[in-house]
Amino acid sequence: MSKDNRKIFEEARIANLSFETRRLFLKDCVLGLGGLAMGSFLSGCNWMGAKDGMSELFNSSNPLLPRSPHFPGKAKSVIYLHMAGAPSQLELFDFKPDLMKLDGQDCPQSLLEGKKFAFIRGVPKMMGPQANFKQRGQSGAWVSDHLPHFATVADEVSFLKAMQTDQFNHGPAQLLMHTGTPRLGRPSMGAWATYGLGSENSNLPGFVVLTSGGKFPDAGKSVWGSGFLPSVYQGVQCRSEGDPVLFIKDPEGMDRDLRKASIDAINEANRMSYEEFKDPEILSRISQYEMAYRMQISVPDVMNINDEPDYIHEMYGTKPNKACFANNVLLARKLVEKGVRFVQLFDWGWDSHGTEESSAIDYGFVNKCRSIDKPMTALLMDLKQRGLLDETLVVWGGEFGRTPMQENRDGKKMPYKGRDHHPEAFTMWMAGGGIKQGTSFGETDEIGYAAISGKTNAFDVQATILNQLGFDHEKLTYQFQGRPFRLTDVHGRVINEIVA
Amino acid sequence: MKWPRLPKIFWIVLIIVLGATSFSYFVSGHSIDYITEVKPIFNKKCITCHGGVKRQSGFSLLFRSDALAINKSGKPAIIPGDPSHSEMIRRLSLKDPEERMPYKHPPLTDQEINTLKQWIKEGAVWGDHWAYVPVEKTAVPKVDNWFFGTRGGGDWVKNDVDHFIYQRMKEEGLKPSVEADKATLLRRLSLDITGMPASPSLADYFLKDARPDAYEKLVDTLLSSPHYGERWASMWMDLARYADTKGYERDDRRTIWRYRDWLIHAFNENKPYNQFLTEQLAGDLLPDPTDAQYIATAFHRNTMTNDEGGTDNEEFRTAAIIDRVNTTWETVMGTTFACVQCHSHPYDPFRHEEYYQFMAFFNNTRDEDTYDEYPLLKEFHKEDSVKFIQLQDWLKQNVPAKEKELIKFVKTGEPAINSIASDQLTNAALSDTKWLVLRNNAQGRIPKVAFDNHTQILYRAKSWTPGGKWVLRLDKPDGPVLNTVAVNDFTGIWKLNAVSIPAITGVHDLYYTYQNNQLKSPDANGMQFDWFYISDPFPGKGVKGYDSASKYFTDLISAKQVTVTPVMVENISGMFRPTHVFERGNWLVKGKEVKPGIPHSLGDLPANAPRNRTGLAMWVTDKKNPLTSRTIVNRIWEQFFGQGIAETLEDLGTQGIQPTHKELLNHLSWQLMNEFNWDLKKIMKEILLSATYRQESKLNKDAAAKDPFNKLYARGPRVRLSAEQIRDQALTVSGLLCEKMYGPGVYPYQPEGIWMSPWNGQYWKQSDSCDQYRRAMYTYWKRSAPYPSMVTFDGTSREVCTARRIRTNTPLQSLTTLNDSAYIEMAQHFAYRMQLLGGKDVKQQISKGYELAMYKTASPEKIKVFEQLYQNALQKFQKDGYKMVCMSGNQQQNAATAALVVVAGAMLNLDEFISKN
Repeated sequence: MSKDNRKIFEEARIANLSFETRRLFLKDCVLGLGGLAMGSFLSGCNWMGAKDGMSELFNSSNPLLPRSPHFPGKAKSVIYLHMAGAPSQLELFDFKPDLMKLDGQDCPQSLLEGKKFAFIRGVPKMMGPQANFKQRGQSGAWVSDHLPHFATVADEVSFLKAMQTDQFNHGPAQLLMHTGTPRLGRPSMGAWATYGLGSENSNLPGFVVLTSGGKFPDAGKSVWGSGFLPSVYQGVQCRSEGDPVLFIKDPEGMDRDLRKASIDAINEANRMSYEEFKDPEILSRISQYEMAYRMQISVPDVMNINDEPDYIHEMYGTKPNKACFANNVLLARKLVEKGVRFVQLFDWGWDSHGTEESSAIDYGFVNKCRSIDKPMTALLMDLKQRGLLDETLVVWGGEFGRTPMQENRDGKKMPYKGRDHHPEAFTMWMAGGGIKQGTSFGETDEIGYAAISGKTNAFDVQATILNQLGFDHEKLTYQFQGRPFRLTDVHGRVINEIVA
Repeated sequence: MKWPRLPKIFWIVLIIVLGATSFSYFVSGHSIDYITEVKPIFNKKCITCHGGVKRQSGFSLLFRSDALAINKSGKPAIIPGDPSHSEMIRRLSLKDPEERMPYKHPPLTDQEINTLKQWIKEGAVWGDHWAYVPVEKTAVPKVDNWFFGTRGGGDWVKNDVDHFIYQRMKEEGLKPSVEADKATLLRRLSLDITGMPASPSLADYFLKDARPDAYEKLVDTLLSSPHYGERWASMWMDLARYADTKGYERDDRRTIWRYRDWLIHAFNENKPYNQFLTEQLAGDLLPDPTDAQYIATAFHRNTMTNDEGGTDNEEFRTAAIIDRVNTTWETVMGTTFACVQCHSHPYDPFRHEEYYQFMAFFNNTRDEDTYDEYPLLKEFHKEDSVKFIQLQDWLKQNVPAKEKELIKFVKTGEPAINSIASDQLTNAALSDTKWLVLRNNAQGRIPKVAFDNHTQILYRAKSWTPGGKWVLRLDKPDGPVLNTVAVNDFTGIWKLNAVSIPAITGVHDLYYTYQNNQLKSPDANGMQFDWFYISDPFPGKGVKGYDSASKYFTDLISAKQVTVTPVMVENISGMFRPTHVFERGNWLVKGKEVKPGIPHSLGDLPANAPRNRTGLAMWVTDKKNPLTSRTIVNRIWEQFFGQGIAETLEDLGTQGIQPTHKELLNHLSWQLMNEFNWDLKKIMKEILLSATYRQESKLNKDAAAKDPFNKLYARGPRVRLSAEQIRDQALTVSGLLCEKMYGPGVYPYQPEGIWMSPWNGQYWKQSDSCDQYRRAMYTYWKRSAPYPSMVTFDGTSREVCTARRIRTNTPLQSLTTLNDSAYIEMAQHFAYRMQLLGGKDVKQQISKGYELAMYKTASPEKIKVFEQLYQNALQKFQKDGYKMVCMSGNQQQNAATAALVVVAGAMLNLDEFISKN
C-alpha cells in the first residue's frame, strides 16, 4: 500500500466511524479499531437503522465484516453434504426387516389412498431392503454394507430418522431444504449464515459451494442464492475444473507484478476521485480491488489439494484433477480450516428410479454410495484428528426419501429396481459442532413408510444449524417488503434431542 | 450526558418556540392524526398480536370496524369519544404485568398512551395511509430567492421539482450544489436515458453547443434515440421476470424474445403508460387484438413452467397465477400483496379473501403448465404468411361469421383442451405429466367438455402401431358412442386429425377407450395426444376456393416455420374455472368461491369495468387508483437518483420506508396523469431538467454530516452503474458494440461449465461476429444459470419479479472487470482505438482514452499514473514476446500495444468509469 493510500484509508476510517456513529444513535457497538486489515478498514458496527430499508446487519461498505451471533455458537462453520436426487434411506440407515417379508407383494390400498406420487401409478409392489444391514459401534446404529467405511464412525453422528417434507419434486424440495420455501426468491441457509456472521477470512468468500456428479442440483443456483438479501451473501461456486472462482485468473500475458502495478494504478486514480468526490463508496471500491488481488492468491491456494500428503489423499480417496465428491470433501475441510463459514456440497445422481442401470437401486445407487463412503468418513476422522470436529457441524442428507414400494412408472414394470420420491420419511445425519455422538432420533413405522415419532422437517434442521452457529432462528431476520423475514418463516424447532 | 454549550440566545429562542407551540397545541385543540401518530404505535407495539395474522382475544387493529367491534371479552376495546371506558386504554395503563398490555413486552410510554387517549376522545377516527389515497393536485411550494444570495440569486431553481427539493433542504439547513460541468452532465444523461455513452458526434456537438437550451436539446435528442427503448425495456425486464428459459429443474428453452422487442418498441414510440399497462395485462381481450397486443400479454407468461417429471401441472399452473398476482402488485402498484395469500395483511388494509378475488382476474387463462407452454401466438413466415393472408381474406369474404374464431385458432391454437386435462385413467397415463398416452385396453375421460352443438373434434396425436380403435363415449364409460376411430398410423409423428361427433348441447364428460391387439406388451404405448379442439368442419363447403382455404387452415395449424410467443388467451365460457380462497394459502384446501374484485380499501372498479382482466386494467390505469402513478414515478426517480423518493419501491404501504418528499411524489404523479397524459418521456424530462438533477455530486463536509445518503438532494446522484450499463459502456468505449436491435437472445463469451441443468442437453454456443457484442439486455438469460458477470454486478436471475436491485460492492466485481475474457477483449479494442485516435504519442493516446471514457481531459496527475503503468508494462512486454502477443490481441502485435492494453484495462476499472458521477 502506498503511503498516500495509507493516509487516505486512515482518513476514511475516521470519517466512516463518525458516519456510522451518526447512524447508530448511540446504540452499543464495538468499533473495529484493532488491526487495520484491509478488509475491515471501513469497519464500525453494522447496525443500520431499520428505517434505511436494509436490515440491521447489512453494511453496504463492508458487508462481510465478521460479526458475533446472538450467543456463542458451538459450531464455527458448517459443511453441508447434500445428495441431490434423494438417496434411499431404506438401503442405508432405516433398516426394515418387515419390509423384506412383504417384498414383491401388492402394496396395500391403505397406503395408497389419498396419496400422490411423482411416478407410481395404480398398485405398485412392495420392495424389501436391497442391502444387508448391521448394527455398528457402541451406539448400535444400523448402517448397511453399502457404507463400510462410514459404519466405523457411526458413533460420531446423530441420525434423524423421521425427517419429513411436503414436497415430492426435486426442485421445490431442495429449495425448501435450503431456503425455507418450495418457491424461488428466498435466501439460502448459507446466505443467511453469512449475512449473520460475516466472513472470518477476508481473502476468501464466506460461503462456498462445490458441486459434483456432473450436474447442478435440480433447483439450480437458487439453493445457494441470496434471494432478497444483498447479492454479496450468495454462495460463491468454487470449481475443481477451470478457474476455481470465475475470473480469478489473470489473463494470459499478465503476471502478478503487472497485475499489482495495474491495481495500484487503478487505486491511485480512484484515490484522486475520492479527493474530488469524497464519496465513501470509492474507498470501499479501493479495498475491494486490494482484496481481489489477495483472493487471486488465496483462492487457488486453498483450492489446490495437490500439496496434501499422500495419506490424506488415500484417506479421502481423491481423484487427481476431477470434479468429484471426494476432492470436494477434502476441499471443504481445507476451506473451513481457513475460516470459511459455510461450505455447501451438492453431489448429483441420487435419483434412484430404476429407469436405467445408473439409477437402479441395486447398481447405480450402490456405486454412488461407494463414491461417498470413504470421503465422508475421512472428513469426520480428519476433522477430528485436527481438533476441528467440535467446531465444525457436518450435515448429510437429501431433499426427501424413497418409497418402500418399487416404482412402476406410468403403471408399468420398470427395467431396473427403483424407488419413487417419498416425502413422508427419510433419514439425515449430523455430526460435530456440538451435536450428540452416537444417537438416533425419530422413528418410522415397520415398513419405513411413515414417520411415527420424533418427526422433524427442513425447518427444524435449519433452526438447529443456526442454533449451532449461535443464532436464535426466530431472531435472525431481514426487513423486506415491509416485514422481517427469516429462514424458517413461521416454523422450525431446534432439535434439542440431538444437541449435546 | 453533558449538555452542549450553546449561546444563551438559543435557549431563549427555544423556550419561546416550545412555549408557543404547546400553547397553540392546547388552544387550537391539535387533533391527532391517525396515520402519523396512532398507526405507528399500533404497528410497533400492538399489531403483531392484534392484526391481520394474529387476532388475540378476537381483537384486531387493522380495520376500524374490527377495532371497534365487540371482542371475546364481550365488549369493545375502543369506544369512540370515551377513552376512560375504553378497555384498550385501561389495559395499557395497568401495573399488573399479567393483565397489562402489550403482554410480556415493555409498557407504552405515557406520551403514547396520551396520544391514544386523545385520539379516542376525538372519535377514534381512522385515516388512510398516504399511498392508498387517490393522488390530488399538490400546491408547489414557492421558494424565496433571497436565500440564494451567495449563489447568485434565485437562479438555482429551474422547475417545480426544485421548489419541493429546495424547501426541504432549507428546513434541514442545507444548500444546493452547483451545476455539474457539461462533460459530467453529458455522461450522466446518456447513461440515464439510453443506458450507454452518447456517440462521439453527439458528445462533440453538445460540448460545443453554447446556446442556453443546449442541455434541454440534449435531453430531447437522447429521449428520441432508439437506445432509449432498450435501456428502459431492460429495466422493465427485471419487473417482468423476463428470461429465455422456463425455470425450475429442467429450465429448458422458451421463445419469448418478441416480448422484449415489444417492450423496446413500446418505450421508443412512447406508448402512454396507461396503454402500456393495459396491453400487458389484457391485450388479448382488446377488440380484435393485433399480434403486438397479444405479445404484450407475454408480460405474464414470463412465469415459470415446470417440466420436471412427476409434477402436478395444476400445482404449477396455480403457482404461476399466484406469481401474476404478486407481480402485478409489486410492479404496477408498489405493494407487497404476497402476504395476503395466507392471511389478512399484517399491517395494510387487505383482507385474505381479497387476495383470491384479485387472483380470480387471472385464473381464467388457457395456460396450464403444459410442456409446450400453450397458448402460443404464431408468427408465420415465407409462404405460410401468404397462406395466412389468403385464408383470412377468403374467410372474410365467404364466411365472415366464422372468421374471428378460426383465425384465433390458427394464430393461438385456442380454445383447445390440453390432453393433460384427462383423468380416470386405466392402461393410460399422463406420460412424464406432459401428454396423454394410451396402451391396449385403455380407458379414460376428459372432464367437462363444452360441446355446445359443435360437430367435430380436431385433435393432435401420434400413433406408433396400426390396428388401434379409439372409441368416444358420452357421459359414462359405457355411455352412447359418439364415434369410433380406426387408428392405423405407425409413424409416431404428430398429426392433425378430425373426428365428427353428433351435435350435443351443453357441458359433458367425454369418455374414451382404446384397443389395439397388435400391441405386444401391456406396457407398450399405442397412441399419444397433445390437444383436442371442439369445433366444426371447416365452413363454406362448395364455395369457390374452399379446397385451398381448408387446406391452408390445416397447413397453418401444423406449420413448422413459425416464431412462437407464449401469450394470454382467456377461457371461453364453457371452460370457466371457479376461483376459491385457499385456506392459509394452501392451494389444496379450497375455501369459499370468490368473484373477481379489488381490495375494498382501494376503492371500486370503475362503473363500466367488466369483471375480467380488461376491467382490472381499467382500474389499474384509472386516475383514482392511488398507486399506479406513484409507483412508476418513484421508479423513474430511482433510476435517475439511485434511490426512490420512497426508498422501498416494492412497498409503498405502511411498513415501507416513508417518502423523503411525499408532496413531490404526489405532484409528479398528478402531472404524469393529468398534465402529461401518462407520457413517460415528458415526466422524465421534467425530472431531468430540474436543477436538482443537474447538481454536481461532490460531497462537502456539511452535506456529509447532515445527509450522508443524499436523501435531501443537496448534491447530484453518484451511484455505481447497473450490470447492463457497465457492459454496454465498456463495449461502446472500446468500439466493439454491435448496435443491432431486436431479436432472439445472444451468446457473448462465457466461461465453460456455467450451464449444467439436469435433464437438458442445452449448451452455450458463443455467437458469431456481431452478436457477441450486442447490448447486455440481449444476452440469453437462463434462469438457473444467468450470465455470470452480470449477476456479479447485482443482476437478478429473474425467476420472480425484482422490484429493486440492492447494489453491492465486492471483490468478485473487481475480478470480473479485471479478468473476464470479455473485458480483456474490450480492453484490447479500447487500446487500438486510443492508438487510432490519439496519435503517435503515448501520453496523448492515454489522454484520448480517458477522454473517450469520460468526455473530459484527465488531470496531469492521473495521466502520469497511467503513463507509469504503461512504462512498467512496456518493459515487461519488450522482454517477453509470448506475453506481449497474448496481451496485445490479434491486431497490432507489439509491446507498445500490449502495454496500452494494460492501461486500457485499468481505465475500464476506474471507479469514476463504473459509476455515474
